[in-house]
Order: sequence, then structure tokens, then C-alpha cells
Amino acid sequence: MNEVPTITLITEDELDLNALVNQIVSSSDGAVAMFTGLVRGITSRDHPHKTDYLEYEAYQPMAETMMKQVADEIRARWNTIEGIAIVQRIGRLYPRTPTVFIACASAHRDTGVFDAARYGIDRLKQIVPVWKKNVGPNEAEWVEGDYVPTTLDATQNIVQAQR
Amino acid sequence: MMKNITVLFFATLRDRANTGSFPMEIPPETTVANLRALLEVKFLSLNGLANYSLVAVNREYVFDEFGIPDGAEVALFPAVSGG
Repeated sequence: MNEVPTITLITEDELDLNALVNQIVSSSDGAVAMFTGLVRGITSRDHPHKTDYLEYEAYQPMAETMMKQVADEIRARWNTIEGIAIVQRIGRLYPRTPTVFIACASAHRDTGVFDAARYGIDRLKQIVPVWKKNVGPNEAEWVEGDYVPTTLDATQNIVQAQR
Repeated sequence: MMKNITVLFFATLRDRANTGSFPMEIPPETTVANLRALLEVKFLSLNGLANYSLVAVNREYVFDEFGIPDGAEVALFPAVSGG
């Protein structure tokens, strides 16, 4: 069961998207859905502001444990998903730089693979202990999330997908 | 018997308290809610943040009624903002 490749990683190194994909795919895969998030230099929506850089930090051991939980949750919802990569870069990151990478591999594109990758980034933003400080021209401010974990998040929240 | 724990602060809490990690002695039967109150007294500069932070014990989310075990690593931090 656990022979499918799973990468869960906090790193200060540049994200090599090709190399990460290469590490999770096998010869039975025909599709990989990928998401990468970037540092946005100019924010227009919600609270418009400028970003010189973001300073990321993580509670690394817990973050990697929670990333494994996210991967388990993905596989419990989409049993068609094979390899999974969930990687967060930390440190000082400048606009246009990839900060996070989620990839889910599957045999075909109609297997829920897009939804699985979307679920992965959404869950990471809810429960994986990583924070960023927005440093702009005039101020530096910690960005705070809005999700408060419940007992359902404390242990593996594995619910079969309803179909 | 007092219990010995390690407390970790991240992000806003670390900045306000000016420390990210320290040992602490707590009375037996201390819950997460009790610890929040102890930390607010120990670090007045937290100014209420410990009351609203998320809490993990030994790298797992816990809630106010949870009893803190001896030797625990207890982390307090704001709602996460990775990605």
C-alpha cells in the first residue's frame, strides 16, 4: 500500500518542479496535476498592498507530519491517486518565486487528480504549521490564517469521498 | 510533582515574547487552558495572544481541556499561513 511515492518536505532550497515530478511518477501514470504558489509582488484584491519579499518559517517536524496527514487524506478520498508531492519552501522569498508545490499523479486525467491537488493546497493552508511575514516598502507584518483546527484535524481526518 | 516541559513560540508570539523556546515547570494537572493563563502572566507582552493561539503538544493539535504530560513539547502559534 505504501509503495507509491510520497514526498512531504520543508526546504530552504529552490523548488525544482521537474525533479519533484520525476520522483513521484511511475510507468502506470498518465496524468499529473500540479499546483505551485508564488510570491505576489502586487496585491490588488481584498487588502491591496505591495510585497518586497515574504519571510517564511515553519515548525518543521510538525509541518512534515501534517503534510503526511494531508497525503493520507488525499488517498482516502481519491483511491485513484498514486504518487504525491507536498513541498513548502521557507526562508526569504522574492516576488515571482515558487513557494509551495503540490503534485498528484494518476493513470488518467479524469480520476479526480485535479480535485486532489486542489484539496492538497487547501488543506496545507489550513493545518500545516508554516507562517509568512509580509515585508513591504513601509511595514513588516505577519500574515495570519483564518482556519482554526478542530478535533477532526487532530487525528487523521480520513473520510471516504461521497460519490 | 511538578512537570517539566519545553514551550515553543512561533511567528507573532515569538516576536512579542522575544523568545522562541524555553523550559518551564508546570503544576501537575495543568491543562492547555491553564498553561495559556500561566504564559500570559509570564510574558505580559503577549497581551492576550496566548489565549487565542493554536496549541500543539508533541506535534499534534490539542484543545483547552487537554492535560499536558511530563516532558511535553508544547507549541503555541497563530493560525497558519503557509502556501
